[in-house]
Amino acid sequence: MAVNLKRTSGGGTVEVSRRRMLGWITGAGLVGSGVLSAISNFVFIKPRATYGAPQRFSIGKPDGFPPGTRITLETRRICILREGNKLAAVSTTCTHLGCIVGLSDTGFACPCHGSRFDQDGNVIGGPAPRALPWFKTTLAPNGEIEVDKDIEVAPGSYLTL
Amino acid sequence: MSRDQAKPTLLTALTQFPGNVWKSIFRNPIPSNDLERSSTSFTNFFLHIHPVKVHKNSLRPAYTLGLGLVSFFLFVLLILTGILLMFYYVPSTSQAYDRMLDLRGSVAFGTILRNMHRWSAHAMVAVVIMHLCRVFFTGSYKKPREFNWVVGVALFGLTLLMSFTGYLLPWDQLAFWAITVGTAIAGYAPVIGKDIQFLLMGGSSVGQEALLRFYVLHVAVLPAVLILMIAIHFWRIRKDGGLSRPADADPTPTMDMMGTMTDPKPVLLSPRKTYGVQGLVRGPLTKVNNIPDNTVYSWPNLFIAELFVFVMTLAVILVLALLFNAPLEEPVNVMHPPNPAKAPWYFLGLQEMVSYSAFWGGIGVPGIFMALLLLTPYLDRSPKGVGKWFSKDRLLANTIFLTFLVANVIFVIIGTFFRGPNWAFVTPW
Repeated sequence: MAVNLKRTSGGGTVEVSRRRMLGWITGAGLVGSGVLSAISNFVFIKPRATYGAPQRFSIGKPDGFPPGTRITLETRRICILREGNKLAAVSTTCTHLGCIVGLSDTGFACPCHGSRFDQDGNVIGGPAPRALPWFKTTLAPNGEIEVDKDIEVAPGSYLTL
Repeated sequence: MSRDQAKPTLLTALTQFPGNVWKSIFRNPIPSNDLERSSTSFTNFFLHIHPVKVHKNSLRPAYTLGLGLVSFFLFVLLILTGILLMFYYVPSTSQAYDRMLDLRGSVAFGTILRNMHRWSAHAMVAVVIMHLCRVFFTGSYKKPREFNWVVGVALFGLTLLMSFTGYLLPWDQLAFWAITVGTAIAGYAPVIGKDIQFLLMGGSSVGQEALLRFYVLHVAVLPAVLILMIAIHFWRIRKDGGLSRPADADPTPTMDMMGTMTDPKPVLLSPRKTYGVQGLVRGPLTKVNNIPDNTVYSWPNLFIAELFVFVMTLAVILVLALLFNAPLEEPVNVMHPPNPAKAPWYFLGLQEMVSYSAFWGGIGVPGIFMALLLLTPYLDRSPKGVGKWFSKDRLLANTIFLTFLVANVIFVIIGTFFRGPNWAFVTPW
């Protein structure tokens, strides 16, 4: 004879046959496996470690950046601004769609979709949604300047040498 | 007959030799009567997706323009040339570009294979768009073909994704910057945009991981999904009653072989009479012996038309591949985007819109457009105007679609010809 589970609901009793019970368990198992495999696939394709240039690096002694110059470090995708004894690192990755902005007379210009930025990286034209970020710069004990692209600072925060 | 029943000896087996192998593969001779014609259609694996008989109006070239077939044949060409190219390609940032040069320089037929693959890809995008327009302008998405339209729109999206992922593989300047821009557009999608971008690139910028991911998507994941969807698309054509087609001309009285006039109009089923299945399948009216048969056998009418379209497609691609070389720009320089950096032509409308607003141009407007496309058969429920180009009954729907289409074409033209360095407006003359 079929083993019947008795389930109470709202006072009355509802009988659940073995077949229906097995059906529910199978269904739950299938849905559960589907959800689990979707999640695990997602976790799998999201890389835990990424390969690439380090985000924190030294750019050498301040002498390399004479006062009043803007020097782009192309491999690092930053531009070093030097005014008097103040120095800062501005991103040269366009905030619009990730092209590399070039130096222009008025500041920076993007070749891909025509975004234009002033000397401090503020948007003055084109579709860019926000200003070029400034990165944290510190003076290491050995006298070299370190840039950390993982830490953004407010535009205008210079490192005083 | 008697020879077949003779005791088989090695000698008789040998005398029948090539013929019996042939017969075991193709169970039918080359058809010479209607029975064999039907038999050939449904016993051949490659032909049995077709109906045994097909409506004359479905075969009108001016109605379908053969665009769906051309898309499919281009896809077949892409699979074949793509598999061959895989023998020489390495998805590595240090090798990919050199492999492109090898294809051009030292691999036998390398240039023409790459050319065929590239031009077929461009052609497939163009033809799929034209096919979509054909189906819309003839109202063919209407009941009962609503879901097949949705499958078709998905196929359109997959075609663009195939093209987009293939674009990165040569690892030249165009590839790198088009993909940098393309993945950045995905990053503007609300909530999950940044995650999608990260998953696509396998890191924070386009590099080795991105190349490998795009390669796997291009040669395995997307083709598998595309083949499955194409199978569903074709299967649904049959299940939805064949292609939509121009209406039959008004039936006229015909004289049958016995010399009696028959009334061509369907008559109501009479419970006292027996009918053939064919007469019953369409509801309470019977068509047995009453409606002129407007169908013809697929062998040879349909198959010869398909073969012709295939040969033409192949010929055009071959001529293009012989005349024009697929472009290959400078190797990737991650520090200097070309100026201007342009996406492939079918994304230039998108790029042009993106130059006004990244979210609205890249996600908002295309998203709304895709949603409208997907919902079209569920919003436009009127059964009128099916099977006719630019039917007056569909003036509103056709006008809306045409407006979107023309706007897109204008954006593509602006992006292609009127944008110069720094994406500034230039005149091409």
